[in-house]
Amino acid sequence: MPLQVNLRSIPYFAGLGDEEIRRIESGLVERSFAKGEILFVEGEPCQGLYLVKSGQVSIFKSSPEGREQVLFIARQGESFNDVPVLDGGPNPASAAAIEPSTVYIIPGETLLSLVADCPAAMAIIKPLAARLRHLTIMVEDLSFRRVVSRLAKLLLEMAVVEGGPAPIRRLTQDEMAARVGSVRDVIGRALKNLEKEGAIKIEGQRIAVVSPEKLRQML
Amino acid sequence: MKAAIPEIDEEKCTGCGDCVTRCPTGAVELVGGKVAIVRPDACSYCAECEALCPSHAIQCPFEIVLKPES
Repeated sequence: MPLQVNLRSIPYFAGLGDEEIRRIESGLVERSFAKGEILFVEGEPCQGLYLVKSGQVSIFKSSPEGREQVLFIARQGESFNDVPVLDGGPNPASAAAIEPSTVYIIPGETLLSLVADCPAAMAIIKPLAARLRHLTIMVEDLSFRRVVSRLAKLLLEMAVVEGGPAPIRRLTQDEMAARVGSVRDVIGRALKNLEKEGAIKIEGQRIAVVSPEKLRQML
Repeated sequence: MKAAIPEIDEEKCTGCGDCVTRCPTGAVELVGGKVAIVRPDACSYCAECEALCPSHAIQCPFEIVLKPES
């Protein structure tokens, strides 16, 4: 199949031999999308690594209210949707064509077969992909959630039952602020608001999550 | 359960006394030029001292526990 995109111009494939390039080309699927058309949606199973043959594709996160945060624009020769290929999870973001676009889809197993015989590479790649997925979620939180909502999410993630198997986590208000991208004064007020709403109780040095459901409603 | 009190890093404490003058319950004093919680029962764990300490010598960490009320 003649490719308008030279696979070796893509950093992933720059060092590959002819046989490996042929293997990738033989598994390629080509698809075209009209302007505004959705390529895939966040949370869906991953179809593979995408390469832009022509056009431009926006990779973005969406809020429940429909607001969008663009993560990046993939242009000719660039790849996207790398993370789910590498960590096996669902698509961490959505993609839409911002002009008529044609993409190649490389199945995840084809890509992974290139590094399958190198356990050291996989041992590095998987945590990197997980970290990138985590940062993508952080972008979503910082873009779409108010501080009180981000704090509610943090408390839900951190709270464990006393006397249970998991150790109890301890955080200062400065540390909470750093975790949710805010400042101490705002965190102090947000904690008071959460207590007023009946979601938590501040008992001395303890923040007790008394209504996880109320915290979830604030997400 | 014994009430918690702020954690003090004496290495960082410069003995400026800001926490002594600003503690709303008078729980804090300087002892030997370093901050000390001399009246732990009076401490309300309001974390004011942590917020105002210029040398970050005082910490008031909160334990985050799940305690649903039925």
